[in-house]
Amino acid sequence: MIATPDLIEALAADAGPVRRLRHPLWRAACWLLLAAIIVLLIAVEVGVRADIDDRLRQTMFVVGLAAAALTGILAAIAAFMVSLPDRSRGWLLLPAPALIVWLSTIGYQCLTAWVKIGPAGIAPGETARCFATLFLTSFPLSLTLLLMLRYAAPVRPTETVMAGALAVAAITATAISLFHDIDATIMILMWNIGIAALLVGLGGTYARRLFAWLAPRPLPPLAIS
Amino acid sequence: MLNGDLPRREAEHGDRAAWSALMARAQDGDQAAYRQLLYEITGYLRSLAARHHRNPADIEDTVQDILLTVHAIRHTYDPSRPFGPWLVAIAHRRSIDRLRRQGRARGREMPLEPAHETFAAPAANLTETAGDERALHAAIARLPEGQRRAITLLKLKEMSLKEAAGASGMSIAALKVATHRAVKNLRKILGDRSGRDRDT
Repeated sequence: MIATPDLIEALAADAGPVRRLRHPLWRAACWLLLAAIIVLLIAVEVGVRADIDDRLRQTMFVVGLAAAALTGILAAIAAFMVSLPDRSRGWLLLPAPALIVWLSTIGYQCLTAWVKIGPAGIAPGETARCFATLFLTSFPLSLTLLLMLRYAAPVRPTETVMAGALAVAAITATAISLFHDIDATIMILMWNIGIAALLVGLGGTYARRLFAWLAPRPLPPLAIS
Repeated sequence: MLNGDLPRREAEHGDRAAWSALMARAQDGDQAAYRQLLYEITGYLRSLAARHHRNPADIEDTVQDILLTVHAIRHTYDPSRPFGPWLVAIAHRRSIDRLRRQGRARGREMPLEPAHETFAAPAANLTETAGDERALHAAIARLPEGQRRAITLLKLKEMSLKEAAGASGMSIAALKVATHRAVKNLRKILGDRSGRDRDT
């Protein structure tokens, strides 16, 4: 163990100018913009579902879609807020109302349509294509969010990871309900929240390890012995 | 009481405002301000850590953890907001982390103290006889001159036969014989002693 004054001298000597974080709302907006771009790109590539006009006339579908999108936006704000040490943990409740509305609109799931057996033999079913969209949306979004919130690792890893996972899940669900004609909410939630919960749950410290590989290093040359 | 509290609270408030300004300067790369800030908050951090820990070494470790964390995420501080809550949140987290780590360690580890160290043979637990250097040196001192020199050079100074022959002027064969006899004698001297120990 090194003496505290020595540590302070080492830290002071290491202290270069740092760029302050922008306001969390601003950073959440940037991330949501990225999410919108990704969804838009998939829309251009895959095309929206054929029955979108019909579906948009159904109140249930519109409410679910809006609630999912709102959950995504609010959860993203919550994640950016709660990642800062001096902001209240109460921000975690922000997406709760939207989340409740969204979950109450969940219908049949696409969990069961992995392969389609038809005249042309076995083909990947809608679930598989669903999964592709899911991966294309959630992977870059998760990675960006993880990078943008990496400073949360030493202070509030679990809360930040959970709020972030919810944001990614909700946005992915919004995207999928625009592109695929089966409801994939449960699969998305299982995928995003489930995996995040699993990682966080596996040993109380896993969230920190999830961040650890890109967390800011305090002092590389000074081994904390 | 209220009158006594008020100036102190004002002073504390003034401290925090000063810390906020120091941190803002530190973020811009002012190392002197940063050093001053770290020195000033150390006492406060120690008092915060003392709420969770009793052992002074733990308190000091926690303070250092907090300082390292403050350093690592100092860019997350927003100078337009108060410095106190930011610092306290970090301090609290590091204190709790250390408590958790200690709790986990206590759950699966047991301190190994000399009192726990015990073996079946009673003689093995008598550390003072098991590796008693003095007894060995005394025994060596009691050897005849040639044997003593051979043991000293070959075993204590770990020379090779050739080196020892050069250093002592004895032939290699003589050294071998002297060593053999010395070991035999030592075994007799020390063996007598341990035999006596066993008997008692």
